[in-house]
Amino acid sequence: MVTNFILLKVSSWSETANMEEEIEEVEFESRPTSARRTLTLRNNAARQVAVNFMPSRQLPYNTLRLRRNNSEHNALLEEVDAAEADTPDSVEKQADIIVREMEQHKRLMEDDPEAEEMRREALRDLPQGLTMKRNVRAKLSASVSLRSKRRPISLWKRIKYRIGFAWKRLRDRCRDVVFSFEFWYEPIRQIEGHFGSAVGSYFYFLRWLFAIDLLLAILVVTFVVIPQALHDEHKADRVQLGALDFVTGGGGLADSLLFYGHYHEGTIATPTALTYNMAYAYFFTMVCLYILFFGVLCYRTAYSYRLNFIETSGGLSHVFANKVFCGWDFGVVTQEAAQLNANSLYNEFKELLNEQNRKKTATSCCIKFAQYVTNVIISIFVVALIVGIQWGLWLLLGWKTGLLHWELCVSVVVTACVTLCPLMFHVVVALEFYNPRTALYVTLARTWLLDVGALMLLLVYWSQKHADECWETAFGQEAYRLVLLDSAISLLVLPLFEFTRGLIYNWSKSESAPEFNIAYNSLTLIYNQAVLWFGMLFCPLLVIAVTLKLLLLFYIKKECALRACQPARKVWRAAQTQTVLYMFVTLSLFTTLFGVGSLFFRTSSHACGPFRGYDYVYGVLSEGVLRLSDRHTARNVLTFIVRPGVIGFLMLFLSVAVYYMRAKALAQRSMVDILRHMLVLQAKDKDFLLTAIANVSNGEWRYSPKPTDEGPDSHTWKYLREVRKPSNSGFHFDASRLSHSLIEGRPRSFVKENRASNYNERKPEDGDTDSSFSWQGSNNYLNKSEEDRPWP
Amino acid sequence: MGQGKSQFTEEELQDYEDLTYFTKKEVLYAHQKFKALAPEKVGHNKNAKLPMLKILQYPELRVNPFRDRICKVFSSSNDGDCTFEDFLDMMSVFSEMAPKAVKAEHAFRIFDFDGDDMIGVSDLREVIERLCGPELKLGDSEIQQLVQNVLEEADLDDDGALSFAEFEHIIDKSSDFCHAFRIRL
Repeated sequence: MVTNFILLKVSSWSETANMEEEIEEVEFESRPTSARRTLTLRNNAARQVAVNFMPSRQLPYNTLRLRRNNSEHNALLEEVDAAEADTPDSVEKQADIIVREMEQHKRLMEDDPEAEEMRREALRDLPQGLTMKRNVRAKLSASVSLRSKRRPISLWKRIKYRIGFAWKRLRDRCRDVVFSFEFWYEPIRQIEGHFGSAVGSYFYFLRWLFAIDLLLAILVVTFVVIPQALHDEHKADRVQLGALDFVTGGGGLADSLLFYGHYHEGTIATPTALTYNMAYAYFFTMVCLYILFFGVLCYRTAYSYRLNFIETSGGLSHVFANKVFCGWDFGVVTQEAAQLNANSLYNEFKELLNEQNRKKTATSCCIKFAQYVTNVIISIFVVALIVGIQWGLWLLLGWKTGLLHWELCVSVVVTACVTLCPLMFHVVVALEFYNPRTALYVTLARTWLLDVGALMLLLVYWSQKHADECWETAFGQEAYRLVLLDSAISLLVLPLFEFTRGLIYNWSKSESAPEFNIAYNSLTLIYNQAVLWFGMLFCPLLVIAVTLKLLLLFYIKKECALRACQPARKVWRAAQTQTVLYMFVTLSLFTTLFGVGSLFFRTSSHACGPFRGYDYVYGVLSEGVLRLSDRHTARNVLTFIVRPGVIGFLMLFLSVAVYYMRAKALAQRSMVDILRHMLVLQAKDKDFLLTAIANVSNGEWRYSPKPTDEGPDSHTWKYLREVRKPSNSGFHFDASRLSHSLIEGRPRSFVKENRASNYNERKPEDGDTDSSFSWQGSNNYLNKSEEDRPWP
Repeated sequence: MGQGKSQFTEEELQDYEDLTYFTKKEVLYAHQKFKALAPEKVGHNKNAKLPMLKILQYPELRVNPFRDRICKVFSSSNDGDCTFEDFLDMMSVFSEMAPKAVKAEHAFRIFDFDGDDMIGVSDLREVIERLCGPELKLGDSEIQQLVQNVLEEADLDDDGALSFAEFEHIIDKSSDFCHAFRIRL
C-alpha cells in the first residue's frame, strides 16, 4: 500500500489526470463527452444508494446528504422530492431523516444532561432552518424519552453536571452582558462597512489594548494609588507646580503620586486595627499584574497562532481557491467600498495570472543568489543602523551640557527616532526581495527591535548611572515624557498630517488617495504598549495616561479614517498579521519582565520608593514575607534550588522536552501526509468499488471473459477468476488486490466489450445479481428506482 | 402586539438562543434590524415574511455580489423571501460565533448556483464574474485559466468539479474565510 502511495505521489498531477481521463474514456467510449457527468449520475442509481449507506454518510453531524434532496438523481430521497420541498409533509420527512441519522450516534441519544447538551449543540450546528431544527428537536426528545432507561446518576456525576450547567449559564449571561456593554460596537461596524475587515481589525486591536489597560488601571489605582493617596492626606504640604513640570515630570511632580519614589515604604495605619503594608502592596500588585497579563497575552497569541498558522498550515495552499471563495468581504456596506473590493479582486486575479505566466520562465540560480545577498546586506545595514541609533542615544544621554531640560531633549530625540524610523524601514524594505507579507513582518520586526532596544537602553542607563539617586523615579519620568510626546504626535501631528493630505486629495484628485496605513498605525500602538510595560512599575499612574490616550486615539483615528482616508486598493489579509501584532506585544512584555526581573534581584534605591528598606527588591519576598534569615531550612532549600546546577538541569530538561515535542510534531506531520495520501487512494478505491457494484447490478459480470484475448496470467483474467467467482455468492473483495489492480489499470477490455450493449438493452429481471447484493435496506430502493425510472 | 422587547416571550427568546448562535439580547437586536427593513409590516406581525427586495435593503446585502443567492439559501420557501426566523438564521450563520463548518456549508450552497451539489466550472465562472463586479470584465481565457487553477488546486478526485468535501478542505485551510464570511449584526 505504502509503495503505492509513493508511486502516486511521484507521479505528477498531470499524470494522475491522464490516468483518470483514460479510465473515463474506457467507461464512456461510445458517448459524447459533454454528456458524461449526467450519465454517471443517471446510470448509477445503485452507486448512489451504496454511497448513501456508507458508514461515513450515517454520521449524525453529517448533514451533507440532506442537501441532496434538491439533486434529482437521488434514489434514497426520491420520496421527499416527490412531495415538494415546501409542504409540511416533506419537512416532516426530512426531519425524520435527520433524526434517524442522529439516532445512529449512541452517545448523543443517552438520557442525561451531558447528552442533552450535546444534542443542543448538534442541533445548533445543523445547517438547516429554524423550523427544521425545531421539528428535529421535538422528534429527538420524543425518541430519547422513548428509549430512555432512567438510571440513577451518581452523586459525583450530578455534581459535575450541576457545575457544568452553572458554568454554561454563567458564560451565557456574561456574553449577554458583554454584548450590551460592548463599547464602540457601532463605530467599528461603521468603519468595517467603509474599509473592510482589515482596517476594522486595527480598531479591534486598539479596543483590546484599551480594555486591557483599563483593567490594569483599575487594579493599580485600587491597590497602590488610593492607599498612598489616603496616606498622603495626613501630611498636606502643597508644592508649587510649574507648567513645564507637567511636560518633564520633574520639579514639583517628581515627588508625587505619579512616580515610584513617592511611595511610602512602611505600613499605612487605618482607623481599624488592620494595617496596609505599602511595600507588599506595591510588590505583589505589580508582580501579579505583570505575570497575569503575560499569561493572558501568551494564551491569546498562542490561540491566534494556532488558528491562523498551524491549523491552516501557513495558509499558503490554495492561493486561487482562497481568492475566489474568501475574496469578498461580506462586512462591506457602502457602494464605493464594494466597488473598490471588486476592483482589487480584479487586479489580484490579473496579478496572480501574470505571476503564474511569468513563473514559467524560472528565475535562474544566479539571480536568486543575488537577491538573497541583497537581502542579507540590507538587513545587516538596518541592524547596524539600529545599533548606531542606540549608541548615539547612549552618548546623548551621557552628554553633560548643563542645559536646563536636557532630559526633555533626549526624550524628543527618542520619540523622533521611533516615529521616523519605521517610515524609513518601509522605504528600505521596498529595495529588498521579499514577498509583501514577509516584507511587512520584516519591517515590524525591525521597528520592534528599535523600540524595545531604545527602552531597554534607557532602563539600563538610568539604573546604572544614577544608582545613588532615585533612578526609578528618573526612569518613570522618562517613560512619562515618552508617553506624553508620543500622545502629542499620534493625537495631534499625525491626524493633522492625514487631514491635510486628505484635503489636498479632495482639492486635486490627481494625487493618489491617502490610505489608512494599518501597519504603521499598529506599530505605534505596539510602541505605546511597550512603553507602558516598561514604565508601569516606576510610574503607576502611567496606566491611566495611556488608557486616556487610547480612548482619545480611538475617536481621532475613527474621524481620520472616515473623513480623510480612502479604502485601500489592495486587499489586506488581516488574520495572520493580527497574530504577529499580538506576538510583538507579548514579546515586549517578555523583554520587560526579563529586564525588570533581573534588576529586581540586583538593586534597589535606598533613597526612595517603597522598597528602600531592603537591599534589593526581591528582599520583599525573601525577607519581608518568608523571613528567610530566620528560617534556615527554608533558606537552604531556596539556595539549593537557585544553584546553577539545578537551574542548568532544569534548562537541560526543558530542552529535552522541547526536542521531544518537536520530534513528535514532525512525526505527526509525516503521519498526516501519509494519511492524506491514503485518503486519496481510499477515495479512488471507493470509486472503483462503486463502479464495480454498479456494473454488477447492471448484470455485466454474468458472462465469462474470453481467455483467448489475454493470457491466463493477465491481470483481468486473474481478477475475474479469483475475485469474481462464477458462483456469485459470498462475494468478497480483497482490498490489497484491489488497490493493486487500480494501479495497474482496470480490466478494461472486458468493460469495453460489455458496457455499451448493457446500457441500452437492459433487462429488468437481473434476479441473480441483485439478490447476491444485499446491504441493509438498499434492495427496495434499488428495485424501486429501477422500476420507476425510464432508462435513457 | 407591543413595541420592541415585548414582541417576544421569554420562551421564544430561549428557543432562539438554543437554536442559533445568538444570546437573547442579540436576538432582540436582530429583530430591531429586521423591523427597520419594514417597520409597519413587522410591527404588525413579528415574524412577517418580507419579499427578497426588502431583505436586500439590508446594508451588507445591498452591495454583496451574491445577495440573491444568500436570500435564496436562507429562505425557507426557497424563493428568496425571508421571515424573521430566516433572517435570524442568516445572521446567526454570518455571526462571529458560528463555527467554520457551518459557515462552509452555507457558503457552499451560496456558491452552488445550479444546485447540483457540486461547484462545477459554470459555478466557478459565475463566482469569479460576480466578484469582479459589473464594470470590470475579465477575458474569457483569463476566467478559464482561473477556473483551471482553482480546480487544479482543490479538485482532489479530478472530476472537474468541487464536491463539498473538497470545498470544506479549502475553507479549513483558509485563515481569512472566517474574517471574510462575516456580517456583524
